[in-house]
Amino acid sequence: MTGEKLKGAEIVVEELKHEGVEVAFGIPGGVLLDLYDVLYQDDALRHILMRHEQCAAHAADGYARVSGKAGVCIATSGPGATNLVTGLTNANMDSSPVVALTGQVPTAAIGSNAFQEASTFTITMPVTKHNFLVTRTEDLPKIIHNAFHIATTGRKGVVLIDLPKDVLATRVHVELHPKETFASYKPKIKPNPIQVKKAVEALVNAERPLILAGGGVISSEATEELRYLAEFLGAPVVTTLMGKGSIPENHPFSLGMAGMHGRLYANRAICECDALLAVGTRFSDRLTGWQLDQFAPEATLIHVDVDAAEINKNIQVDIPIVGDAKLALQELIKWLEKKRATDMGSNVWVQRIKAMHSACEACIRDVQREGASLSNMIIKELSRILDDEVIITTEVGQCQMFAAHYYLTKKPRTFISSGGLGTMGFGFPAAIGAKVAAPDKRVVDLAGDGSFLMTCHDLATCVENDIPVVVCIFHNCYLGMVRQWQELFFDKKYSGTRLGTTPDFVKLAEAFGCYGERVEKPGELKDALDHAFESGKPAVIDMIVGQEDKILPMIPPGGSVIGMIGTEQCKLI
Amino acid sequence: MQTHIISLLVEDHPGVLTRMSGMFTMRGINITSLTVSPCEKEGLSRMTVAIDGSEQELEQVRKQLSNLIEVVKVVDLKEDEAIVRDLCLMKVHVKDSNARSEVMQLAESYGAKIADAMLDSVILELTGEPKKIDRFVELMKHFGIKQLFRTGVTAIGRGVAGGIER
Repeated sequence: MTGEKLKGAEIVVEELKHEGVEVAFGIPGGVLLDLYDVLYQDDALRHILMRHEQCAAHAADGYARVSGKAGVCIATSGPGATNLVTGLTNANMDSSPVVALTGQVPTAAIGSNAFQEASTFTITMPVTKHNFLVTRTEDLPKIIHNAFHIATTGRKGVVLIDLPKDVLATRVHVELHPKETFASYKPKIKPNPIQVKKAVEALVNAERPLILAGGGVISSEATEELRYLAEFLGAPVVTTLMGKGSIPENHPFSLGMAGMHGRLYANRAICECDALLAVGTRFSDRLTGWQLDQFAPEATLIHVDVDAAEINKNIQVDIPIVGDAKLALQELIKWLEKKRATDMGSNVWVQRIKAMHSACEACIRDVQREGASLSNMIIKELSRILDDEVIITTEVGQCQMFAAHYYLTKKPRTFISSGGLGTMGFGFPAAIGAKVAAPDKRVVDLAGDGSFLMTCHDLATCVENDIPVVVCIFHNCYLGMVRQWQELFFDKKYSGTRLGTTPDFVKLAEAFGCYGERVEKPGELKDALDHAFESGKPAVIDMIVGQEDKILPMIPPGGSVIGMIGTEQCKLI
Repeated sequence: MQTHIISLLVEDHPGVLTRMSGMFTMRGINITSLTVSPCEKEGLSRMTVAIDGSEQELEQVRKQLSNLIEVVKVVDLKEDEAIVRDLCLMKVHVKDSNARSEVMQLAESYGAKIADAMLDSVILELTGEPKKIDRFVELMKHFGIKQLFRTGVTAIGRGVAGGIER
């Protein structure tokens, strides 16, 4: 062992930099003084001080989803760590690679109910892919290396490292940058060739093949392969919420998002197909509806997923392929090409897809469509105004589903939304992370007034750190999605959903030092967005929409993909 | 519903038991019996978990267990391919010498040992297949069981393969 002794905190920072970490979102605290002392002296690792730990986790999550690299967040012991939990759960549920560092009371005090002590290790166990409680400074290099390895490989996820104060303060001789990984962690990423050949056979024999793309396609950078396969097979692509961006939604074979608030024709295609190739999706209930026997009833189901535990979990499939989405798609393409058959989807099917695609696109382009609500017109206008490079993040609820349904996403990693957990307050801090990951891109958070108020304090973070994101609020004075359900299924009894007096969001923005503007007509939106971007400041655009606007069509509770309600707005073909 | 026995090889780390049992809680599955002990490899522990559930639930559990970073190996032990044992200690009431001799006779026929004897009770020790112990316990209820302790099942696969590895 050579060289001088290093402090635990120095080891942490050295190893973070070695793992390629450039930025961390966090809030310090008593037990983290040693770590922050090292960060103070180190310019290579940027620390962004957030105003709430939940936002630190969401920002790290947003950063990860946009960059494809692990996002890092830091929180102190006790309340700092417990505040992180929502953000970590959210990231883990959407398989987003995040590494969280938490401070902990000194090892000798653990279990004594010390000041700001919480059992972060046990609290975060069920909401992370893995977590560590470090008890010896010497273990730090190996643990940090493994944390990043676990977070970013296989099915990606969250890894938390709990760091007691004495572990950070102790000086030891230690070998940095170990390469050793855990023997028991070997994610299976190479697909089984026998299964691939079975899938190829099923796809070749299908007359109406369909591809269902989930977040795994984006996560494994398989979007090029997906598009090639769709064109080669003559198979349309429907996506999950997490899969939005896996194929350009203006591509003639794209039918948009399927599921509960998905497009009518995306769900129709699921019902009509005779072979369904599902890639990187876990068949969540928001996709399948509740009557599983009506989900792709005529289809041979092929399921590609890197997590073997997702196979046959929510839906029984015919041909499972466990492996990385990119590798699996490459293998499928290789074997399909050997069959030398192109345009295997029947011509009738391809024509039908194109007609369905055009019907949806015409509906989206038609901003002033008769009977359209203000929310509806605004989201269509946004889709028209914002270019392909803009990164959209969303809050959760109506604003999110308006965005998922109507906003045409053209590129992967430009639509960032809380899928599995459905966390209100996610979109804005995720936008902060997105903007830090891609400073040259414009980042817009599509928010609701209810959601935005959950995390809006981090406008201060944006101003202080010069992170000019734009928040567009669908301002309807209600918790809109729950209100919509109360309107449709609970006799319009708006219990606990009326927000009443909402803040003046323009003044709120200005109070933080941001740019603010109100929009009362969709036609004013373009100018407001121009002003917001030109201001160079973080901005809030307060978009006044109808209080009883609804996002339709939808699958009603208990329904199936074939039983959507509120389809009057859809162009029927 | 059927009883399944899962044998796990896990890293001997603090928190592994919580992580493993937490997985069952998360998936809404009840553990009927659980044993943890050292094994032939240093640094690893063996856990034997018995659960009641359908084949589908078992498959899901097996995969979720394999996903845990500290789980090295998951083996699903079928009853006819494994030696399954449970250890039982119980304190049985003996009201008179008649009862005492009856209890001792029955214990002998089951291969149970008398671990200790008091004036009004005896402590019996029996090792065997869980079903055999179930039957013996039923029998002893007739005399009055004051206390019953069972270790829960431990199991080892027959032959070379030692169960089906997933």
